[in-house]
Amino acid sequence: MIIEILYLTLERFLGFLPILMVAIVVGKVFRLYISEDKIGILLKGERRSIMGASLLGLVTPGPLASYLPLLKVLQISGLPLSVVATFITSQTLVGPLRAFLEVNMFGLTFFIFRVAASFIIAISIGTCFHFLDKFVKPKIPLSGRRAHRK
Amino acid sequence: MKKKAVYIFADSLKEMKTIIPAFFIATLIGATLEFYLPEEITFAVLGKTPFLSIPLATIIGIILPIPRYATYPIAFSLFQKGAGIGAIFALISGEVILGAPDRDILEFKYFGWKAFVLRLILCTALVTAGGFVAEVLL
Repeated sequence: MIIEILYLTLERFLGFLPILMVAIVVGKVFRLYISEDKIGILLKGERRSIMGASLLGLVTPGPLASYLPLLKVLQISGLPLSVVATFITSQTLVGPLRAFLEVNMFGLTFFIFRVAASFIIAISIGTCFHFLDKFVKPKIPLSGRRAHRK
Repeated sequence: MKKKAVYIFADSLKEMKTIIPAFFIATLIGATLEFYLPEEITFAVLGKTPFLSIPLATIIGIILPIPRYATYPIAFSLFQKGAGIGAIFALISGEVILGAPDRDILEFKYFGWKAFVLRLILCTALVTAGGFVAEVLL
């Protein structure tokens, strides 16, 4: 039984490994050309557009943690929290790397559905944040407000 | 161009060192589940009743403490065993709602607990809804 499990594991692992490696390399290529600065510039242009932020998030490679400080600075500078929430949601739900694994394991239809669903989910969350902005908006620290006024 | 290629290669190797072992372990877990988890149980819990399986799959995805991409081999094995496509959607999408400590802590710190909790609740509800739609359409 253990040998059968190990055999199945190796068979699957070696089957998925090339796809995983391609996904990682493609992700790095994306990351090289889609830097945090470029995302910041594009998001500034999408100041009022939840839809644009959702589309941008779908194609932005991870990890999200590297974009969060930039998002915070943009939010203090006036980017609506709804746009930030939309970008965070779509970026985490889908990413360029997941495409390879999902298409390989579950088919193209499943992946297309997940992208479409993630786009809609992100927009829905952004819309909710838009209406609940007063209740969820974080208080800008005094130093941030002074810097913003300058 | 050469510098970029070297950078991509080196950075990819660095990431592979983290992801590949986790992916192997996840594949091993998936293979073990395929052998030991009876098909009837998988189907009964994650395939037969969408109203039970999809919310359950979302919650399992949220609480599963495994690195990103490691969900895929497990989801694949469950799918082979009879889990519904809606449950698989919920599991894969639920996995990203919580689970990356660096991201979650920063999000909490930068945008406040209210925004963090609201996004968590909305994501959970909408991913579950997405699972139902996937079950109907796919």
